[in-house]
Amino acid sequence: MTSLSLSFKNVRKSFRDFTVYFVTLMLGVSIFYIFNSIDSQQSIMEITSSQGAALASLNRLMANFSILISIILVFLIIYANRYLIKRRKKEFGVYLILGMSRRRVSQILVLETAFVGLIALVAGSAFGILLSQGMAALTAKLLGAGIVNFQFIFSVSALKKTLLYFGLTFILTMIFNIIMVRRQKLLNLIYASRQNEGFKPPRLALSALIFLLSIGCLAVSYSAILNSGLLSVALIWTSVISGVVGTFLFFFSLSGFFLKLIQRMKKLYFKNMNMFVLRQINSKINTNYISITFVCLMLFISICTLSSGMGLAKAVTDDISRNTPYDATLSIGAQYNCNTNSYNSYPAAGVDLLAEAKKHNVNLDSFAKSYVAVRYYNGEASSLDIKNGAGIDLNNELYYVKLSDYNKVMELQGLAPITLAENSYAVDSTTAYDKWIVMAKDKIIETTLTVGGRKLSASPERISSHSLEVAGNYTLDLLIIVPDELLANAPAKRDLLHIKYLENKALSEDLAVKNLSKITVEGIAERLETKKLVVEDSGSTTTTISYLAVYLGVIFLIASGTVLAIAQLSEANDNVRRYKLLHKIGTDERQINRAVFLQNLIYFGVPLTLALAHSIIGVIVAAQAINSFRGMNILDSSLITALIIVSIYGGYFLITYLGSKNVIIREYSRQEKEG
Amino acid sequence: MKNLKKRTAPILKVKNLEKYYGNKNNLTKALAGISFEVQTGEYVGVMGASGSGKTTLLNCISTIDNATSGHIFINGKNVTNLDQQELTKFRREQLGFVFQDFNLLDTLTAYENIALALAILKKPVEEIDEKVHKVAKLLGIGKILDRFPYQISGGQKQRVASARAIVTEPSLVLADEPTGALDSKSAQTLLLSFQQLVRDHNATILMVTHDAFSASYCNRILFIRDGKLFNQLVRGRDNRKQFFDKIIDVISLLGGSSNDLT
Repeated sequence: MTSLSLSFKNVRKSFRDFTVYFVTLMLGVSIFYIFNSIDSQQSIMEITSSQGAALASLNRLMANFSILISIILVFLIIYANRYLIKRRKKEFGVYLILGMSRRRVSQILVLETAFVGLIALVAGSAFGILLSQGMAALTAKLLGAGIVNFQFIFSVSALKKTLLYFGLTFILTMIFNIIMVRRQKLLNLIYASRQNEGFKPPRLALSALIFLLSIGCLAVSYSAILNSGLLSVALIWTSVISGVVGTFLFFFSLSGFFLKLIQRMKKLYFKNMNMFVLRQINSKINTNYISITFVCLMLFISICTLSSGMGLAKAVTDDISRNTPYDATLSIGAQYNCNTNSYNSYPAAGVDLLAEAKKHNVNLDSFAKSYVAVRYYNGEASSLDIKNGAGIDLNNELYYVKLSDYNKVMELQGLAPITLAENSYAVDSTTAYDKWIVMAKDKIIETTLTVGGRKLSASPERISSHSLEVAGNYTLDLLIIVPDELLANAPAKRDLLHIKYLENKALSEDLAVKNLSKITVEGIAERLETKKLVVEDSGSTTTTISYLAVYLGVIFLIASGTVLAIAQLSEANDNVRRYKLLHKIGTDERQINRAVFLQNLIYFGVPLTLALAHSIIGVIVAAQAINSFRGMNILDSSLITALIIVSIYGGYFLITYLGSKNVIIREYSRQEKEG
Repeated sequence: MKNLKKRTAPILKVKNLEKYYGNKNNLTKALAGISFEVQTGEYVGVMGASGSGKTTLLNCISTIDNATSGHIFINGKNVTNLDQQELTKFRREQLGFVFQDFNLLDTLTAYENIALALAILKKPVEEIDEKVHKVAKLLGIGKILDRFPYQISGGQKQRVASARAIVTEPSLVLADEPTGALDSKSAQTLLLSFQQLVRDHNATILMVTHDAFSASYCNRILFIRDGKLFNQLVRGRDNRKQFFDKIIDVISLLGGSSNDLT
């Protein structure tokens, strides 16, 4: 029999054992292809140049992350492969004892790896190409681009890259396999199945102590990160390290501790198969706690990436409507210079944008239905000592504005004008800043300002939050609205021109961008933000964040599912002997199924539970960090995350449970047939 | 003589049992119509060369294999027409098993291995504890109950396995080459324990063996050849040595080689 036919037979025969490995390889290949083929998707879309640039940069970003992903996949494949080889040690031993050369055995292994790899590559690429069709529609929707023609999308470069990366991975795996077979002693190969792991769990007192220690480590980790947020690097590291150590100790002591605890509850311990299941898990967690720790941490990364990534993407989407009260805002003002930590000079009298427009022969009426010019003044900057939630000092973004200017803006937005009581001022935040304004309200009410030589106090009912300009990013601006006459001598800091377009928005946009860019003032930068640009920009941000989150999150999920599934399934074969005996001495199938289910459930459930606990803390911290800038809706993204986890991790659980059950049932029927 | 009354009803009755393997063209008769009875409190050995059908017979009696035709009655119940679920129930309630390779669960302690048989029967904790200790004392393994199988010797393992087999007080204990993996000293200890179980506790044991020494501890030996009952020996008033010699005689008649002598 040639090596080729022997290895082909082996793969076919052990296809059941290969299923999880194969599924993982296939998923890995297809995900890799999908996320590397994003730029080819534009062939079906009608996109602007800025959207094209966004797609290109998204593709570059994905390419960079793909390197990280492929490293993870290499480790995963080698890990999975090591298990498969370990299970077949005896088979290799028999080959060797029959006089087959080690070279030939390696050859068989190389061919097997090549077979499985080839099938996975073909199937995975096909699956990836298929999925990328649907993905293109999603990309178009996220980017806000129209789909011109549905056609088959195929990225040669992505396919080449996939083949190259995975080809290399398989070659690496082959080399690893050869080394593994070469290094083994024949004796160990032959007696591989008889090697017993005689691990005695530590005594109750000791495991209880270690368990408490792990809880302590986790408490330190949680409290460090909850108290510091993401501001102190030292505390972040404290949290990470104690979290990892705590997780490790947790799994190290967990099963021993609970086993001993439940052993004391004799009624429960000796009920049905409980004793057997607990011992099974104990014997496994004791030998596998390192991989379980990794699984838990990978799950944690996955959950956090998915939920906060998508939460952030959702927040960005929600922002669009709030960031675009008009069609365009042209602004000019003193620019903050990071190097000198000060503002560039700006004429004290300000820049009259309407006059500038006239000067540059710009006819605003050619594209604008209505427009308003507003001037922001530089008040006594440090007079209002308010900090936002993240602790950033806001005084730099504090502006004064005349009541009449403010009311013009209100009118443009179709809102009622406000009036000011004697000696009082009003406060408004420029963008969607309502969360912060609520937090700062008490502080504002207490603050008395002196503007233009007059003392003013805040009127509590005049503290509000409106979107006041078209802006791509969040600005932390705060407007203090005061009677016009008090600002007669105040220095100007910014001038803004808010514009609403005529009916034909597309034409107006073109004209506006073309004309408004003509307005230039010597030495001062100006900025034009239009609703269209903001929407596109936000679309590409959303796409980038959510794609990256899904890419990383799903790969980590697959990795953790695979590690558990392979370990469980390969042990299911060792367990067959145990279950066969149970069957012989009269344990009925229901009890056995229940035991298998329970065992898998605990094995998959325990790391997930701790990962969820970690993630709750992680998401709270992430939400705090994001929330100080914008409101993030955790609920929606958590639901989507849960859905992804249930389908992928749950899928791996199901494959593993059914696989283990089938291995056992297959053995019964064989036993009954053979007699 | 005190068990005389109980011996009136056979605990095991095998009637015309046949088991065929293969298809029409290539038929193997593993059992070719075998009939015998075992009374309560008997210690019966089944001997025969490899391929004579003794393992098939044991598998049929232990209900993990089904016969082609014929009937098996255990404790008056015809087990050949029970369904899978009833069989499982029957096995755990009526039968005890001792295997050549012990078949202890390596993840459980000796105590737990014995207790498992009772836990499967859903016995209350107090009863489990009491019975495990009682049977452990009987088999002289009281001191090793907290140990795992890999921490005890082969002989001890087999006594733990035997304890597991009898702790449920089954109608019939089926032993498949129980001394096969033991050294002669451990084998002797185990065989003496079996004798004691039969004599003092009214257990019924059916033991398959190819080893004349092990067989010489039984009350009665069934010899099987080509799937049929070839001969049977009753110990009667013979001592073990005399019985052993008689067994050897039958073995040579059967065509057994000197390898079967211990």
